[in-house]
Amino acid sequence: MIRRLGVALLVWSAAPLVLAQTQLVLVRSTLSYHMSHPIHHVDGTSTEAKGKGTCGGAKCDFLIAAPVNSFKSGDSNRDLHMIEAVRGAQYPMVVVRTTLPNPIPADGTIYADLEVQFAGQDLHYPHVAFQKSTSGKQVQISGTVPATCSDFKIEPPSFLTVAIKNEIPVSVSMTWQPQ
Amino acid sequence: MRNILFYRLLPSLFLISMPIALAAQNVATVSLPDAPDAQQQSTQQPSSSSSQQTQPARPPDLSDLGFSPQQTQADPQLQARLDKRTHMLKVHQRLGLITLAPMAAALFTGSLAKGEDHEGRTFRAPSDANLDFHAALGGLTAAMYFTTAWYAIDAPRIAGTHHRGPIRFHEALAFVHGPGMIATPILGIMAYRQEQNGERVHGAASAHGAVAGITVAAYAASMLAVSWPPKFLHRH
Repeated sequence: MIRRLGVALLVWSAAPLVLAQTQLVLVRSTLSYHMSHPIHHVDGTSTEAKGKGTCGGAKCDFLIAAPVNSFKSGDSNRDLHMIEAVRGAQYPMVVVRTTLPNPIPADGTIYADLEVQFAGQDLHYPHVAFQKSTSGKQVQISGTVPATCSDFKIEPPSFLTVAIKNEIPVSVSMTWQPQ
Repeated sequence: MRNILFYRLLPSLFLISMPIALAAQNVATVSLPDAPDAQQQSTQQPSSSSSQQTQPARPPDLSDLGFSPQQTQADPQLQARLDKRTHMLKVHQRLGLITLAPMAAALFTGSLAKGEDHEGRTFRAPSDANLDFHAALGGLTAAMYFTTAWYAIDAPRIAGTHHRGPIRFHEALAFVHGPGMIATPILGIMAYRQEQNGERVHGAASAHGAVAGITVAAYAASMLAVSWPPKFLHRH
C-alpha cells in the first residue's frame, strides 16, 4: 500500500518533467523568394532558418524563423536594397508559426494555416498546401507560400524606374527530425 | 506497524515530491514565450496536472531557436542608414539613366564636329555651331556624370557587407569610365584649341574620340552589369 502510494505520488510530482511531448527540430532548410521584373528574375535564398516543432495533445505547434539578412540573391547591392525595402533592420526576422494535427498527417499533400510575421506585419495564410514525405526518421516538407508585396505593405522595389511584380512567392523546403 | 509507517512516510514522500513538481512548473513559467496573448494563454493551461495528457504542449518560441540577440534585435539606426543609402542610389540610378542621353548625343555630334579633307587637313564640319553644340553636350554630360557619381560615392556604406555579384563589375567599370570622363573633356579642349589655331589635331588630343568611345562603352557596360542576368538567361 505504502509502496503504491509512494510511486503514485512520485509519478504525480514528476509528471510535468516527463510530460509526453515529441519535439521536432529543423535540420535543413531552403527558403527562396522569387522576384520578377521585366528585365530579369531574381531568387533570394536563405539556408539559415531554424525551426522547432512541439507535439502534445492533439496538435503540433511549429515555429520557423530566419534572419531577413540571410537571404542571398547573388548580388550584395540587391540584397541590401531588399533589406531596406522590407524594413529588415527594424524587423530582422521572418517568423512563421503553424499548427498541424497530432499525429501529423501521412505523406502526401498537407494543408497548413500559416501565421507569418514579416516586415512589421502579421499575416495569416490559410490552407497553404505542402508536400510531406518521410525518409527514415526525417520528414521533408516543401511548398510555396503565396506572398505578395502588398500583403506586407512593401513598396515594390523598382529597377530602371520599373517596379517588380507584386507577387513574391516563397518556396520552402524543410527537413525535420525528432530531437 | 504498517499504519505507523504509512502515516510517517506519506507526508515525507509528499514533501519530497512537491519541490520537484514546483520546480518543473517554475521552469515552464520562466520560459513562457513572449508571443501573442492568445498563445500565452494556451501555454498557461498545462499547469493543471489532471489534464496534462490532453492539453497541447507549450508552443515553441523564438528564443527556443538559438538565434543571437544581435540577429533578432531591431536596429533603427541601420534602417535609417539603409533608407538613406537606397534614396541616394535611386537618385544615382535615375541620374545615370538621364546622363546617357547627353552622353550619346555628344558621341554622335562628335563625329560630325570635325573631319579631315582629302589632303589630311582638319576642317570643322558642318559648322562652328555644331562644334559648340558638341562642346556644350560634353560639358553637360561631364556635369551630370560627376553628380551621378557623387550620389554613389556619398551613399552610406553598410558595415560587414561583402561585395559580390554583378555589382562588383559595375563598380570596377567605374575605374574605366571615371578616368575616361576626366580625360575626354581635357582632350576635347586640347583638340578644340588646336583646331581653333588652324592646326591639325595631333598628339594626345587626337585620342579624344577614341577615349570618348571607350568611356561610353564602359558606361553602357556598367549599366548592363547591374541588370545582369537578363530574363532570358535566368534559370528558375
